[in-house]
Amino acid sequence: MDAFGNLLLGFSVALTPVNLFWCLVGVVLGTVVGVLPGLGPAATIAMLLPLTLKMDHTTAIIALAGIFYGARYGGSTTSILLNIPGESSSVVTCLDGYQLARQGRAGAALGISAVASFVAGTVGVLGLMLIAPPLARFALRFAPPEYFALMVLGLTMVVFLAGNSMVKALLAMLVGLWIATIGTDLFTAESRFTFGQVKLLGGVDFVAATVGIFAIGEVLVNFESRAGAELFKLSKGLRNLFPTLQDLKDCRFAFLNGSVIGFFVGALPGAGATVASFLSYGLEKAVSRHPEKFGTGVIEGVAAPEGANNADAGGALVPLLTLGIPGGNTTAILLGGLILWGYRPGPLLIQEHPQLFWGLVASMYIGNVLLLILNLPLVPLFAQILRLPYYILYPLIVGISIVGVYSVNNSLFDVWMMGLFGLLGYLMRKLDFPAAALILGMVLGDALERALRQSLMMSQGDITILVTRPISGILLLIVAVILCLPAVRKVRSWRGEAIEREG
Amino acid sequence: MRITTFFLSITVATLITLALNVAWSQEFKPSKQIEAVVHTGPGGGSDLLARAIAELLQKEKLISQRMQVVNKPGGGPAVAMSYLAEKKGETHTIGFFTGVWVTNPLTTVEATVTVKDLTPIVRLVLEPAVIAVKADSPHKTMKDFIEAAKKSPNQLRQSGGTVTSRDNLIRLLIQKATGAQWTFISFPSGGERISNLLGGHVQIMVIEPQEAGEQIRAGNMRVIAALTEKRLAALPNVPTIKEQGIDIPLIPQARGVLAPPAASREVVQYWEGIFDRFSKSPSWQQYLEQNQFEDGYLKGPPLSKFLDDLTVQMRDVLKEAGAKVVR
Repeated sequence: MDAFGNLLLGFSVALTPVNLFWCLVGVVLGTVVGVLPGLGPAATIAMLLPLTLKMDHTTAIIALAGIFYGARYGGSTTSILLNIPGESSSVVTCLDGYQLARQGRAGAALGISAVASFVAGTVGVLGLMLIAPPLARFALRFAPPEYFALMVLGLTMVVFLAGNSMVKALLAMLVGLWIATIGTDLFTAESRFTFGQVKLLGGVDFVAATVGIFAIGEVLVNFESRAGAELFKLSKGLRNLFPTLQDLKDCRFAFLNGSVIGFFVGALPGAGATVASFLSYGLEKAVSRHPEKFGTGVIEGVAAPEGANNADAGGALVPLLTLGIPGGNTTAILLGGLILWGYRPGPLLIQEHPQLFWGLVASMYIGNVLLLILNLPLVPLFAQILRLPYYILYPLIVGISIVGVYSVNNSLFDVWMMGLFGLLGYLMRKLDFPAAALILGMVLGDALERALRQSLMMSQGDITILVTRPISGILLLIVAVILCLPAVRKVRSWRGEAIEREG
Repeated sequence: MRITTFFLSITVATLITLALNVAWSQEFKPSKQIEAVVHTGPGGGSDLLARAIAELLQKEKLISQRMQVVNKPGGGPAVAMSYLAEKKGETHTIGFFTGVWVTNPLTTVEATVTVKDLTPIVRLVLEPAVIAVKADSPHKTMKDFIEAAKKSPNQLRQSGGTVTSRDNLIRLLIQKATGAQWTFISFPSGGERISNLLGGHVQIMVIEPQEAGEQIRAGNMRVIAALTEKRLAALPNVPTIKEQGIDIPLIPQARGVLAPPAASREVVQYWEGIFDRFSKSPSWQQYLEQNQFEDGYLKGPPLSKFLDDLTVQMRDVLKEAGAKVVR
């Protein structure tokens, strides 16, 4: 059967009233889970898994997958409105999304993130349908050196996150890289920088750190400087509640960029949505005609990372469904579910259970449409939250942050960590250090170090392994080009000035 | 006479009632939700097993209260273990242990809680392991691989977990027994271990038969040795490592249930009773078969002895491997 015939089979499965209903339940639950920080899709799916045992299996995976990609949809809401990253993959969305909200364009930001999610979700589904097996084979060519090059590429994104001072951005990134080393070393099982604390053995919780730096830091700064003053410009009338045509036009490339990067990075078992969202943000800024405005509230800065973290959900299903290899926590739970239902997930799954795979693919099309229909009307409603006066809004932000961070590991220690990172975030804002650069270092540090050490183990300590392999070589070449760009620009502007002086 | 009999029977009846009353008051029965602590995040091996058991206990109607799985990841099992240690006296908390609960405190200074500090209840599962290569690998047997590794020391590679994981300990034991040398590369997730093998970046890995099953069926992977005493039922053509002339102690991957420190006799008896019946239930037996686990049911003194022996064995293996043993 060709892909088209298969898809028809899929739709015939997905469009039955029962499956349609459970798809709706899944995406609604996913959205809710995504909006709240802390409780993530993995934990939710794990909790609901027992309930699915009595359901038809295709129905069950349709509902659970709905939670998975629905959560990516919802993750942007608190990032944009309150500067609280709902999921780790929506950290990048905070950068421009929250600034847009402060300028009274929360509706536009929320709307564009819904549209970007829809486009990316659809691209992800198309990719899953058309190129899953060859892509999975390509992803197998990624060994530690290739991951290392990918992570270095990610780190160069710091160039695009730096505000006024590159030195400050690099310093912040280094601190982030250091924080990533805290905890148990994977290779030797020895502990590093834990100061005898059992609770630090697992490292610094990523959600606690990001919520602290972004949300709590922001509250502290505002509390000091703007208490009593108006925090948000409020939009008047309906015009600003949705993205304008111009916004959509501006985001044309961002939609594509986010979708493609998200899907490819998602298909790699060793990377993740957070890496994808940083990469697409960096690319967007690199090709932008007004890169200097990024971070002050540009609409593309929301569309690209939101697209990336949604397309990643489709990409993450590629290794699961074609090779039986889970790409992350959430897909590992889905894998457990498949086993519990009596399937043998692996390379033959698609062939032997076409109704399951194609039903899922078709349901993801439908789910994406449902999410768009659900989310767009909610945009003006959510945006109303900014009308709250600061003496309600600040405690609300702090409250949501505490509950969210606590619920990740049920750990009060994490809440204290969040407070600590809140202070750090406050200081960084005061001293004009870019917080995103620190987060970037934290996200990539672990994977970067690991890939480097694994590569050197592979080559018996020969460092040339990093550049002599084709894929990693090409990736590192791109890194070199990116690092040279600012220098080239500077030389050009000097020349321009010199010519002006002479002329 | 009659009156005496009458009084006597009353006395006896009272005594029996009293005795029964005492027995009732001593018997433990959960009165609220049970908290089941695992050391992995959602989707990890321990997490999936705990959730499956919670589900099957309910299906078999063996427990009346809900069992809620609580994830306490961090520092291998260290965070979960210290959490359980803090729950001393709490009767509605249990934990799911694995072999790493024994090895981790041996090498980690901060991991001050050992399995013996907690209250082991039952061992449920023994996970067998096999050694796998990529389907088109030139190494058809363990011997092929060992010879290739001897010819070019440290050029061949194995993917696995941490250096204290079973994967690496098995490598060290085989290296010692044969004199061959190859490289071990740690990957945090099972997915990466498999994808690096299938991508040809490493040559062998230690894997559970269920995980390897589908890759074998699809022609992606081949198994060259079973790390078991007897050949596996599902892989009857694969010789054990002993059959291939390599005599190493087999390190069992055990999984089971324990309670917080110094749990009362009643609580232990309650759980032993539940798991006695559970281990014989058809749905558990079916689950074991599906996952190609061995039924490792063990309780009481034999379980204590098993954990003691395992600790001693692990300490020796780790020391030999050059790991820093701290307790």
